[in-house]
Amino acid sequence: MLILCLIINLPFILMSQNSYSKIKTFDQKNWVKENLSYKKDTGSWAWILHRITGVALIGYLFLHIYSLSPLTQGEAAFTDKMKSFTTPFFMFIEWLLFAFVLFHSLNGIRIVLVDWADGAKYHRSLYVWSWIVGVILFVMMGVIMFSYEIGLLAK
Amino acid sequence: MDITVKILRYNPEKDSQPYFQDFTLKGISEDWRLLDVLHEIKWKHDGTLTFRRSCAHGICGSDGMKINGKNRLACSLLLKDINTSKPITIEPLPSLPIIKDLVVDMSSFFQKYEVIKPYLINKTPPPPNSERLQSNENAEMLFESAKCILCACCTTSCPSTWSNENYLGPAALLKAYRFTFDTRDDAGDERMDIVDNPDGIWRCHTIFNCIEACPKEINITWHISQLKKKISTREI
Repeated sequence: MLILCLIINLPFILMSQNSYSKIKTFDQKNWVKENLSYKKDTGSWAWILHRITGVALIGYLFLHIYSLSPLTQGEAAFTDKMKSFTTPFFMFIEWLLFAFVLFHSLNGIRIVLVDWADGAKYHRSLYVWSWIVGVILFVMMGVIMFSYEIGLLAK
Repeated sequence: MDITVKILRYNPEKDSQPYFQDFTLKGISEDWRLLDVLHEIKWKHDGTLTFRRSCAHGICGSDGMKINGKNRLACSLLLKDINTSKPITIEPLPSLPIIKDLVVDMSSFFQKYEVIKPYLINKTPPPPNSERLQSNENAEMLFESAKCILCACCTTSCPSTWSNENYLGPAALLKAYRFTFDTRDDAGDERMDIVDNPDGIWRCHTIFNCIEACPKEINITWHISQLKKKISTREI
């Protein structure tokens, strides 16, 4: 009787065991494509810029250590190296570096407020305020850095 | 009003890759919901179009899909609220495996949901002749998080989910908040141990995509931040 039951039920048992695993699905997992195609709002822009500025600042750290490396070769070599950083081009690049530092630190404060205060309720205005404060400090730093050039232009 | 709808189609029996198919519909009212548009296509143009829907009133959460690049419920979105001058793009929820057309395999979403023990755990006997009481203040704290309908719009909109399939995701973390902050529940520590790991709560990078996607307008990131605070301070 038991054997008969098994024989009758065998096709159904096999079908029930395999039916789910037989479903063919398309794996659409592709984080690059999703990041590019998904609609972005303030939060996602802040996150993307935070990542970009973070990676850029790590890159700068290497450049910074490289530029200080002539210290081991004596004062003359170091002064020679430092001279190349006083050109207007490098000063402009340094000014941009300040913009990266500004965004990363101000947005960092925003993230701390989101995680530790009720910042998630006003994250949009925090983002706008970080930009306002950032732009003011950026312009102020520009005036300080290029005061000599501004003086020349005024004459 | 005439509209063009671009839908991502995939038939596992025929196609090796999903592809976009255009449908042009004439004489559509701007008061229609996106779900009505999908019905129109399925009932009058192409009966093979497959999508999930059940209550059609934003309660069951079955018709979550990516509409014009953003996760939403098709039944809660009116045509007049989106740009219809360009073709409307409809895709299945991101990152989950596609079973057919707009139907995705939600197994992994619900597995992550079950991980955080989404039910009341109580180790003390109930008070005699009365239910377990809750203060008004505590109920207020849970109202917003209890509105979740598990449509998966938030979890599949999160860049952390796209890049890490083990990340619990906003929906599970929101439910973890809902029970951890419930004064009647005794398993708060147990739940915090579960979410306190790199694939848990700390994978939330406060990108806010979940809030933008949530059809119930729940501030999920705020609830996650409260959990983060509780986990960080419980050792101190």
